[in-house]
Amino acid sequence: MNKKKVMESFNRQAWIFIIPSMLLIISFVFYPMIQAFITSFQTGTGTNLSVNGIDNYKRLLTDTTFRKALFNTLLYLFVQVPIMIILALVISSMLNNKKLKFKGFYRTAIFLPCVTSLVAYSIIFKSLFAADGFVNAILMKVHLISEPISWITDPVWAKILIIVAITWRWVGYNMVFYLSGLQSVDDAVYEAADIDGASAFRKFKSITLPMLRPIIIFTTINSTIGTLQLFDESKNITGGGPANATITISHYIYNLLFKYSPDFGYAAAVSYVIVIMIVVLSFIQMKAGDKND
Amino acid sequence: MRIKKLIVFLLAGITILSLAACSDTGDNNNSSDKITIWAWDESFNIKAVNKAAEVYAEINPDVEVEVVTMAQNDIVAMLNISLSSGAYDGLPDIVLIEDYRVQGYLTAYQNDFSVMTDIASADDFAEYKTGVNVIDGKMYGIPFDSGVAAVFYRLDLVEETGYAQADMEDLTWDKYIEIGKAIKEKTGTDLLTLDPSEIGQIRMMLQSAGAWYTDEDGNADIADNQALKDAITTYKKLIDAGIVKKVSDWNQFVGAFNSGEAASVPTGCWISPSVTSADDQSGKWAVAPFPRMAENPDSINATSFGGSGWYVLKNVGNEEVAKDFLKETFASNVDLMNQLVEEINLVSTLTAAGEAENYSKGVEFYGGQEIFKDFAAWTEEVTPVNYGKDTYYIEDMMTEAVQRILNGADMDKTLSDCQTQVEAAVAKGGRKSK
Amino acid sequence: MIKKISIVLQHIFLMLLSILSIFPVIWMVIAATNKSVNVTRGTLTPGNYLFENIKALLDSDLLYLNAFKNSFTIALITTVLAMLVSSAAGYAFVIYRSKVRDMVFNIILLSMMIPFAALLVPLFRLFGKFNNIGILKYISINTLASVVIIGVATAFLIFFFRQNTRSFPKELVEAARIDGLGEFRIFLSIFMPTNKAVYAAAIVVTFMTSWNSYLWPLITLQSADKRTLPLVIAAMGSSYTPDYGMIMTAVFLATLPTALIFFLMQKQFVAGMTGSVKG
Repeated sequence: MNKKKVMESFNRQAWIFIIPSMLLIISFVFYPMIQAFITSFQTGTGTNLSVNGIDNYKRLLTDTTFRKALFNTLLYLFVQVPIMIILALVISSMLNNKKLKFKGFYRTAIFLPCVTSLVAYSIIFKSLFAADGFVNAILMKVHLISEPISWITDPVWAKILIIVAITWRWVGYNMVFYLSGLQSVDDAVYEAADIDGASAFRKFKSITLPMLRPIIIFTTINSTIGTLQLFDESKNITGGGPANATITISHYIYNLLFKYSPDFGYAAAVSYVIVIMIVVLSFIQMKAGDKND
Repeated sequence: MRIKKLIVFLLAGITILSLAACSDTGDNNNSSDKITIWAWDESFNIKAVNKAAEVYAEINPDVEVEVVTMAQNDIVAMLNISLSSGAYDGLPDIVLIEDYRVQGYLTAYQNDFSVMTDIASADDFAEYKTGVNVIDGKMYGIPFDSGVAAVFYRLDLVEETGYAQADMEDLTWDKYIEIGKAIKEKTGTDLLTLDPSEIGQIRMMLQSAGAWYTDEDGNADIADNQALKDAITTYKKLIDAGIVKKVSDWNQFVGAFNSGEAASVPTGCWISPSVTSADDQSGKWAVAPFPRMAENPDSINATSFGGSGWYVLKNVGNEEVAKDFLKETFASNVDLMNQLVEEINLVSTLTAAGEAENYSKGVEFYGGQEIFKDFAAWTEEVTPVNYGKDTYYIEDMMTEAVQRILNGADMDKTLSDCQTQVEAAVAKGGRKSK
Repeated sequence: MIKKISIVLQHIFLMLLSILSIFPVIWMVIAATNKSVNVTRGTLTPGNYLFENIKALLDSDLLYLNAFKNSFTIALITTVLAMLVSSAAGYAFVIYRSKVRDMVFNIILLSMMIPFAALLVPLFRLFGKFNNIGILKYISINTLASVVIIGVATAFLIFFFRQNTRSFPKELVEAARIDGLGEFRIFLSIFMPTNKAVYAAAIVVTFMTSWNSYLWPLITLQSADKRTLPLVIAAMGSSYTPDYGMIMTAVFLATLPTALIFFLMQKQFVAGMTGSVKG
C-alpha cells in the first residue's frame, strides 16, 4: 500500500521536473513545426498562399541546386563527423591525464575556436585560405605543394575547406563534453589497470570508451544533427560557392526564405526532407548505441 | 553549499524580474512625431539619411527621425517575414531597398507601399530608374543613389604599356582585354578580379544591352537571349586571356586593387571610397566609361550595378510624415545632394543634382578628373531595364551554368537546361510593367 | 622508455593542434589593431590603430555597447534558467524512468531535427499574437524575453543531462531518500553539486550558443535599442566600404565574454578531480 503511494508521489514529482520543458518545447518547436508542415503543401508569396498538394515535393526532384545541397551536406556528414569525434576523443583522453603538463594551455587553446564569433572566424578563414593567403604561403615554403591551392574558388578544395573549418571550430566543443564526462570515471580504475600493466591504448579501449559511451552517443547524434543542419560555415566562408559547390541544405532553405522572393511553401518542403533524414539517421544511431543498456 | 544554492535562486529571481522590467510591450510607433528609417552601410547610406534628417529637422523640427543600421540581408529578411505575416509593428516607415529587389516586393506586397506621384515625378530622376519602381504609370519609391558603372583604372600602368588615357574612352571589351594583356605582360599585374560565385559583370553587360534574365513580362529569358550569350562569351574571353585574379569575397576584392594586384575595377561608382582608401595610390587612378560589347548592336557604354531607392511602408502608420520627409530631402533637395556628393561620394539620380556645384569639382586622387560630373552624365545614358522579381534566385542558378560553360560545356545546351530550371523555380511570372 | 616517447609525441600532437587552433584567433587580434586598408592587404604585424578602431566603433551609430549589454543580459538569463529547467528534465528522464516518459523523451528528441530556419516564420507569427494575450505580452515580439524563452528548454540540453545522469550512481539518490530528503532537495543538493563538471560544460555551451545566436534575434528584435551583438556586427559588414579594422575590433571584443565564462568554468574539467563521484 505504502509502496504504491510512494511510487505515485514519485510519478507526480517526476512530471513536475519535466513539464516546464515539455510545455516550452511543444509551444515553440512542435507547434511551429506543424505550421511549417502545413505550409509545405502551399505555394505563393506573402499572404497569398494557396494549397497545391505535393507539388513542392515534386519540385524537389528536379531541383539541381537541391541535389547539390543534399550531396554536399551528406558528404560533410560522413567525412567530417567521424574525424571530429575521434579527434576529440583522443585529445580529451590525453588531457585527462593528471600527470600531463600544460594541460590548461592545450585545453584553452583547443577550445578557443569555439569562442570566436562567426563573423571573425569566417573573415579569418577566408583570408588565411585565399589563393595568396598565409596557408598557401606556408604549404609552398615547406614544399608540400608547388602551386597555390584555390581553396575557395575551386569546387573540390572549397568542400575540403569547409570540412577543415568545421573541424577546427567544433573539436574543442566536443572535447569539453568528453572531458566533463571523463570526470565520472574513478581514477582508481585507471590505477588498477596500470598495476596490471595495461598500455595507454588498452586503457583507452577498455575503460575510457565504455565509460564514455553515453556521451559518445550524445556527441555523435548531436554532431550528426548539427552537420545535417549546417548553415553558418556555408553562408559565411564560401557563400555556398563557388557556384553552389559547397552549399548546404539549411543554407538553401535560408536563401529560399530570405534571399529570393519568398516561397515559404517550398522552403518548408525542403526542410521536411532534412527532418526525415535526421530522424532516420538518429534512430539508427540510438538503436545501435542503446543495445547494451 | 547552502549559500551557493541561495545565490542560484537569487540570480534566477533577479533575472526574471529584470526580464519583466526591461521588456517593452513593443514600441509605439504610431505617434505622429516619429518616423523610423532602415538602411545598411554606415559609411554611405546611413550617413546620407542622417544628413537628410538634419536638413529636415530645420524644416519640420517636431518630427523625430530614428535611423537604424542593419545588414542589407537582414532588412530583406525582416521585410519578407513581416510583410508576409501582415505584422507592421516592428517595421520602419521608410526603408532602403536595392533596385534588384524592388519588383519582388512590389509584386508580392503592392498594397503595402506608398505611391509617390504626389510628391515627385519619375521625370525628375534618371530614366533608367523608372524600370525599377514604376507600375502602371505610378512611381512607388524615391530613387536614391546611382549604381552607374565605370572602369576605375590605374592610369600609370596603362601609360607604362604605351597606351594613353584616350584609348580607355569608348572601350569595347575586346579593346579592354587587349590593353589588359599588355599590362599583364609589361607589369605582371592582372587587369581585374573575378569571383566565380558572383557574376555581376554579366549583369552589367546585360544591362548595357538593355537586356536581363527575364523579359518584359517576367518570363525567363535565358536560352534565346543573345545579349546573355554575348556576355558569357565576353566573360570567358576575360578568363581565357589570363588577366584575371580570382577572388572569393569582398575583402579580397577590395584588397586586390588596394594592394596593386588588379589594375582596374569595372563596377558601380560606389566603389570609389574603397579605391581612394589606399592613400599611397593617389594620382594614379582615372575613371572611364564602361566597355560595350562590340558584337552586340544594342550594347552601349553605360550600365548600372546596384543602386537603391527609398520606399514608404504605408501601413506602419506614419505615411504622411514619411512622404513629407522624402519630399523635402531625397526627392528634391539639390543642396543636400551637393553636400552628399562631396562628403560621401554619393552620385544622386536626381537629375537636377548633376548641376550642383560640387559635381564639377575635380578629384585629386583621380588626377583632377571631375568624376562626379562624368558619373552624373553617364547615369542619364543608362538603359532602363526591369529586373523582375527573382534576380538573385536566377543568378544563383546562372553562376552554376556559367561555370559549366567556362569548363567547356556547350553554351546553348547549358542555357537551355538553365531556362528549364529557372522556369520551374520562378513559376509565378506576373511581373508588373510600366 | 616507451612511456616517455609516448608523452613527447602527445605533447607534439597537442602543441600542433593548439597552434592551429590559436593562430586564426591571434590573426584576429592583430587585425583589430590595424587600419582597414592594411587588413585587406593581409598584414600580419600588429599596428597601433586599436584605439582609433575602438573609438570609431563607439562613435558610430551602431549602438555597439547597447548591443553588448543586450547580448549579455540574454545570454546570462538564458543560461541560468536553462540550468534549472533543462537539467531537471534530463535528470527526471533517468531517475524516474518509465515507459511513458521514455516515449516523451524520444518525442522531445524529434524537436532537434528540424532546421531552425524553417521555424522562424511560424514562430514570428506565434509571438506576434502574444501582444494581445495578457501576461504573454512580456514575451512577445521585440522583447529580450522572447529570445530568452526560446533558449531555456532545448532538446540538446535535456539530452545532454540525461546522458550524463546515466553515469550518475542511483545509490546516492536511494541513500538520500532513506535520509528523508524530498525529491527536489535531492536534485538540488545531491545531484547538482556532484555534477559540477557537467554543469560547467553546459553553462559554457549554453552561454556561447545564446551569445552567438543570430536568426531568431534578427526576426524578433526589431527596435534598434534591443538588438544584439551578432546583428550589429553583421550590419557593419554590410557596406560598400567596410572598415575591416573596426569590424575586427568589434568582433574581438565580442569574443571576450564567452572566453571569460570558459576560463571561469574550466577548473571544473580539470583532470583528477576525485570526489566528483563521492560528493
